[in-house]
Amino acid sequence: MRIEFFLLIAALLFAIGCVGVLIRRNAIVILMCIELMLNAVNLTFVAFAHDNQSMTGQVFVFFVMTVAAAEAAVGLAIIIALFRRRLTTDVEDASLMRW
Amino acid sequence: MPVYLLLELILVLVLFALVRVYAPERTLLAGAILGAGATALLAVNYRALLSLEFWVGLIGFVAILSALMVVIHPNPMVSILFLIVNLFCIALFYLILQAQFLAALQIIIYAGAIMVLFVFVVMLLNLKAEVGLRVAAGPQRWGALLLGAAFVALLFNAIRGRLDQAYVEPGMFDPAFGAARGLGGLLFSKYLFAFEAASVLLIAAMIGAVIMAKRQVRR
Repeated sequence: MRIEFFLLIAALLFAIGCVGVLIRRNAIVILMCIELMLNAVNLTFVAFAHDNQSMTGQVFVFFVMTVAAAEAAVGLAIIIALFRRRLTTDVEDASLMRW
Repeated sequence: MPVYLLLELILVLVLFALVRVYAPERTLLAGAILGAGATALLAVNYRALLSLEFWVGLIGFVAILSALMVVIHPNPMVSILFLIVNLFCIALFYLILQAQFLAALQIIIYAGAIMVLFVFVVMLLNLKAEVGLRVAAGPQRWGALLLGAAFVALLFNAIRGRLDQAYVEPGMFDPAFGAARGLGGLLFSKYLFAFEAASVLLIAAMIGAVIMAKRQVRR
């Protein structure tokens, strides 16, 4: 199987996630779009690992998954803390550090 | 040949979606006719069903569609369910690309643990569907769409040079490639330090999440 097709799919997924982060205002959906981007990168890693017949790419996917799990846990905890304080998950309402 | 079959099936799906949106009372009739048409297409071209290209194309189409639904659906719960569909599609890609262990991890960790966390938080906060879709205003929205399109064009340009190369038959199939044994061997020898750092990261994230979510708020 040619890997270019997988690279194309991964590029599209990454761009969709990227646009989602930029245009959506709901913090939970933004976190989900970040997961989407991480998955696109993982797919690229696995495709290249298959192309080169080297397991190193798959090890990196393992680490990306670890970081994604940590990021999701902390991000959701921050969203819960934000919701307790402001009763919203809209990022427009957390604009203290905005210039 | 499989590509044309896939495009025809996608066309059938788009026609059905158009009927569903613009003439909801004809949904059943259109579903019956288009379903019969799709079945006939598959029956005539049954040989294409045996090709890997057809299935990879189908999974890719579902993956892209579900990713789009994650971004454009106003209800966060529906977004989460579509993200789970997307994660399963990527797990299937991992299987096709000989990463069996990672496919299992993808379903166990992503679909099983992380997405359950998302579902719990959405249900805990009792989030409703947004009234209309709340998106960034003015320049940020159009800038984001423009940059997204430009990014796809850039990446496609980088890949394009290799798209017209001749098909290269992969080497011998190695059953050990992508299995847990090889991955674990690398993880505990060459990448031992990174592995330990990842465990520290997980501990820090766990403590951080508990402290962040448990803190009492002074009102």
